[in-house]
Amino acid sequence: MGNGTEEDYNFVFKVVLIGESGVGKTNLLSRFTRNEFNHDSRTTIGVEFSTRTVMLGTAAVKAQIWDTAGLERYRAITSAYYRGGVGALLVFDLTKHQTYAVVERWLKELYDHAEATIVVMLVGNKSDLSQAREVPTEEARMFAENNGLLFLETSALDSTNVELAFETVLKEIFAKVSKQRQNSTRTNAITLGSAQAGQEPGSGEKRACCISL
Amino acid sequence: MAQALGEDLVQPSELQDDSSSLGSDSELSGPGPYRQADRYGFIGGSSAEPGPGHPPADLIRQREMKWVEMTSHWEKTMSRRYKKVKMQCRKGIPSALRARCWPLLCGAHVCQKNSPGTYQKLAEAPGDPQWMETIGRDLHRQFPLHEMFVSPQGHGQQGLLQVLKAYTLYRPEQGYCQAQGPVAAVLLMHLPPEEAFWCLVQICEVYLPGYYGPHMEAVRLDAEVFMALLRRQLPRVHKHLQQVGVGPLLYLPEWFLCLFARSLPFPTVLRVWDAFLSEGAKVLFRVGLTLVRLALGTAEQRGACPGLLETLGALRAIPPTQLQEEVFMSQVHGVALSERDLQREIRVQLAQLPESAPGPPPQPQARLAGAQAVFEAQQLAGARRGAKPEVPRIVVQPPEEPRPPRRKPQTRGKTFHGLLTRARGPPIEGPPRSHRGSASFLDTRF
Repeated sequence: MGNGTEEDYNFVFKVVLIGESGVGKTNLLSRFTRNEFNHDSRTTIGVEFSTRTVMLGTAAVKAQIWDTAGLERYRAITSAYYRGGVGALLVFDLTKHQTYAVVERWLKELYDHAEATIVVMLVGNKSDLSQAREVPTEEARMFAENNGLLFLETSALDSTNVELAFETVLKEIFAKVSKQRQNSTRTNAITLGSAQAGQEPGSGEKRACCISL
Repeated sequence: MAQALGEDLVQPSELQDDSSSLGSDSELSGPGPYRQADRYGFIGGSSAEPGPGHPPADLIRQREMKWVEMTSHWEKTMSRRYKKVKMQCRKGIPSALRARCWPLLCGAHVCQKNSPGTYQKLAEAPGDPQWMETIGRDLHRQFPLHEMFVSPQGHGQQGLLQVLKAYTLYRPEQGYCQAQGPVAAVLLMHLPPEEAFWCLVQICEVYLPGYYGPHMEAVRLDAEVFMALLRRQLPRVHKHLQQVGVGPLLYLPEWFLCLFARSLPFPTVLRVWDAFLSEGAKVLFRVGLTLVRLALGTAEQRGACPGLLETLGALRAIPPTQLQEEVFMSQVHGVALSERDLQREIRVQLAQLPESAPGPPPQPQARLAGAQAVFEAQQLAGARRGAKPEVPRIVVQPPEEPRPPRRKPQTRGKTFHGLLTRARGPPIEGPPRSHRGSASFLDTRF
């Protein structure tokens, strides 16, 4: 996607950030894509997104990271949010046990709306606030293992593990995609996601909207 | 950030191939002692002086006089000269008078009068701990760069806490919706907490019922309505949006829920609110259609947006000069969308909503279309209160007359009668002209 030859990437992976309000999704997003952190970043009400291109081996991968409101009632209007997502970071605040206690509900929400093959990482954010920890690392790690999720603890504030978290998810997606491509004959459609993401740009196919007036 | 949004969005040259929708809060490193607040209170904001196209001082004086006159006998004004109110709201309420006019327009002053001591009680009561935590987390995240909301102990954040808490106590089944934060904040920039509270109540219950509750069912319906209107008015844009997969729920909720408080330069936000409190939800649709047209109206613009992300980005990157209040609002008021058009489309979309949709069905008929409808409803309620206790709450059909063919004027009587006949048709705009010389009570609808 984008302006064809100017954009130099092979893949676009849509990753969604989910989790309770206030756990730090927006700052994880800004830390990863713009290396910024803002204590007063405003409440996310609509849908926000940001992109960053990373190299995985020789492949350039454009990560399209989506962020939305965490408050329960927004579920009603954000089902479109998941469409085409191939990865997800399920974020909780490790200084607020309540945000971890609802992780299962978020997982259900995710699986209700996204592809079953979506790569999911459980992220315990705010690791810089070590004195205020309410969720033991081991407990969260066990939960992740038992549910087939990746796991990391991060701090968007001091950057700990933020790059690692996103890159790990992207690598995992990439591995799946590569395997699928080996298994099937070469096509332009990658079944991991739908038409918006996971599509190769510069493959010569033009979208109709570029042609019509 | 509601300050001049365009300049705060990341400029293309900074990004190379990466795009971001993240707003300007991260651009500014936070208030420092050297940063000045602009005329609206935004630290480092760009509205230092009135922008181009701002009316000259003597015109503002004139408008102020008009408003002082109109507001000093509000009931009379609303009964007979709503059209003038509407026009003046479209031109923009002078800043000195918003604090006086907004509560009058939305009927908050009547709510306050009818429930003396209610806000006091709500403010003093302890909040539901669940909501308090959520609200507390958000206090420093509403207009964080506005001088009023900078400090946690300041009257801005504290006022926000009180007003939002009060609402969750007033309507516990509704609870707290995060979008109420920016709405309450803008109200608090103009009004003391009690008045801000009642204005919030009116917005949430009467102007936009079904927006802020647990299911937000009216937002979903309005998104469908918006797409249908788009299809009719901007068919090529509509087609483009379909093709790139940009559904209205990806951009509309923040616009409508926050009444554009986070999406337009602040002076323009205030103009939108003036019109919205006067004319109701129709204004939101007009603004939305204008924004979409400004972002994607030309073939060139659409061509520059081959995908979903670029298209969404375009919706957020309209140059601020095009969003300047006079330029923008004149286009908004020129959008060909009447209240009747809107109601018709709402009925169509409501009928098409899938029955399997979660949550309760939306009730668009509960929505009042602006200040006049609010005024009439409050008058009617007041009359009922004054009448015998057992006034039945049934809408009485006026005596049957041969139903006039479409487009003929309808019988207009007194205010109450006008409200009753509305049960059969779209809300009526325009004042009853019973005081005019003409013998008949006939009146044109529009």
